[in-house]
Amino acid sequence: MGIPSDDFLAMVRGALGREDAPPVEPYAPLLDDLAALESQAAAVRERIAGELPGLMTQVADTAALRGWNVARCAGVEDALDYVVSLAGRLGATSVARSEQEVFGAMPVDSALAGVGALCWPAVYEGAESRASVRRRLEECAMGITGADYAVAETGSVIVLPRRGLSRLVSVVPPVHVAVVRPQDIVGTLDDLFALRRLEFYRNGAEGGGDMGSYLNFITGPSRTADIEQTIVVGVHGPKEVHLVMLEQE
Amino acid sequence: MAEVATREFVPASQAAVQDTQLRQALRRAGSGFDGTRREAIAEVTPEVWEGWREQARRIKEHTIAHLDYYLAMLEKNVTAAGGRVHFAADAQQANAIVSEIARNAGVRTVTKSKSMVSEELGLNHVLEALGIDVFETDLGEYIIQLAEETPSHLVAPALHKTRGQVAQLFAEKLGVPYSDDIEEMARVARIVLRQKFLDADMGVSGANFLVAETGSLVIITNEGNGRLCTSAPRIHVGLAGMEKVIPSLQDLAVFLRLLPRSATGQRITSYMSMVTGPRRPGDEDGPEEFHLVIVDNGRSRLLQDPALRESLYCIRCGACLNVCPVYQRIGGHAYGWVYPGPIGSIVTPGLVGVAQAKDLPNASTLCGACRDACPVQINIPRMLLHLRHQQAESSDYNQRTASDTDALLARGFASVMSSPWLLKLGRAASRAMAGPLAKDGKIGQSRLPLLSRWTRARDLPIPPARTFRDVWRDELSRGRG
Repeated sequence: MGIPSDDFLAMVRGALGREDAPPVEPYAPLLDDLAALESQAAAVRERIAGELPGLMTQVADTAALRGWNVARCAGVEDALDYVVSLAGRLGATSVARSEQEVFGAMPVDSALAGVGALCWPAVYEGAESRASVRRRLEECAMGITGADYAVAETGSVIVLPRRGLSRLVSVVPPVHVAVVRPQDIVGTLDDLFALRRLEFYRNGAEGGGDMGSYLNFITGPSRTADIEQTIVVGVHGPKEVHLVMLEQE
Repeated sequence: MAEVATREFVPASQAAVQDTQLRQALRRAGSGFDGTRREAIAEVTPEVWEGWREQARRIKEHTIAHLDYYLAMLEKNVTAAGGRVHFAADAQQANAIVSEIARNAGVRTVTKSKSMVSEELGLNHVLEALGIDVFETDLGEYIIQLAEETPSHLVAPALHKTRGQVAQLFAEKLGVPYSDDIEEMARVARIVLRQKFLDADMGVSGANFLVAETGSLVIITNEGNGRLCTSAPRIHVGLAGMEKVIPSLQDLAVFLRLLPRSATGQRITSYMSMVTGPRRPGDEDGPEEFHLVIVDNGRSRLLQDPALRESLYCIRCGACLNVCPVYQRIGGHAYGWVYPGPIGSIVTPGLVGVAQAKDLPNASTLCGACRDACPVQINIPRMLLHLRHQQAESSDYNQRTASDTDALLARGFASVMSSPWLLKLGRAASRAMAGPLAKDGKIGQSRLPLLSRWTRARDLPIPPARTFRDVWRDELSRGRG
């Protein structure tokens, strides 16, 4: 089949005319000891806390420019009202959601049941088979997730699929609702990656870390411009996306 | 490896120039992409943009200079995350690796998200020969797969097709009623491909970046097909040229700022997916196996030549295509292989062999628009000149290509340009000779030797009555110099 990595790397080294050695001058001071990373992340967190009201406005404004429908909600009551009226407009009978902390404080299942929509956690543990969960996901009118981060610079929501959070809830249904809490907000891409690096090194032993298997970085609806550069939304992913921002939890 | 038709560049480009539909498509796309790119740069300010370009450039310079080191780091971390890294010296090896993975897992259906490397490998045909159904899922790629064509642009593969042509294709191949409504065509593709996503055993993706530090594969898409290809099937195979690696997660930020803006003028794409190994125990979904195939396939030739090494910094945004006066006239197919346009004219000779692609480095005006547009400051004109120089130095070139006429012309030009009175005489003579051939101040199609090639596709204006030298002298004598 292929060639052993040692041979491949030796070939690369040969092409470069280089010895087998680390770079003499590292390109950037890449922190990889936990204490340094933690203080870097703490500085990021502190700056975000200081700028939070401004960052929340920036998230809302940028997200709207990138195609999100943004709803700034004073609290969970407002947010539930928004989701319920959305479900009503869509005529939703089935709504998939993730199992995330945010829904503990925000009882979407009972709120949606009030308008005749079944809101169900898209998890495989339990009675159903994988195939049947997928079939139900295919048929439901919308998917609701929390957010692990929201980035003010780009107007994006980040979800980290894991237990309780299927990769498919935010991409298969035609409508996606992401619920963002104040503590999810970060300023820039640099903030995001500084925090993720800390998690990576924190989760690992002996220098190797764990990123989790997936990071989903979502900015607005699915779109294409592959035919005559004309933009169409909703080609493979959702055509309608909603950013529900809780001003306070 | 994908079929190489680079030797046909001259006839293919001549035919392309005559294709009015293609010219229309190119005009629309080129001005559209480049217009939004310029707006996006103006929005962040040119100063900030330059800062990003320099930062990205430094990252690429450093990583490529220590490529073996970062590839080793990548391999270690992909493996630690439960994935498997394969190294392929050439297209044949890469295809064999993917075939073996598919065979071992009893794969019958593959969905693919856009990958230029897989185009390079000709992977689809190899898998199809094994009896596997392969579906491209990026809308543009799906269109050209149905049409049995190849991509004509790095980010907009079906750029050369009009909506009417796509409508016709869908009606023929999918049996849907003819409709050239773009929204309707996208809806048809969504319905057809949705089922394929759910049925597929294996998803194949490219990689925009590979993060050595965390062992992650990063893909950037707008449609969501990349997310479905990497999430739904039980196996995910990522294909990447060996130059795609960057050291750290921190380095990713600047590329996420540069790539979408350079490609389509978008501030950010709809989706960025970062894949680190297969699903973990407890994850709701995701593939059981994750394979990363790192491909050389001629890249080490570019790496080895210090003068061409920077071509490996390319992030495949396509900005150089959108500003290139040559690409904008002839489109991507005339270049004869997977990577068209200015950067393709360097990468293609490197990957398929210089001898196969002699015309490509010469298909440039050296105007430098590509260098100015490049988000990683690749000096494309310098490398094109380097390749031309290599050609001129080779014995093959001296014997075959440089005819006596060329040599005579070059000598004549040199002596005229180095003597003011000869230049003046030459100008008067050329005007006198051009007069009888011209109509409305221009020479149209001419049958005369030398002139005929120039005038085949464009008019030659006759020299004006007053030259720059005349104007200069008059202005000076009027004391306004």
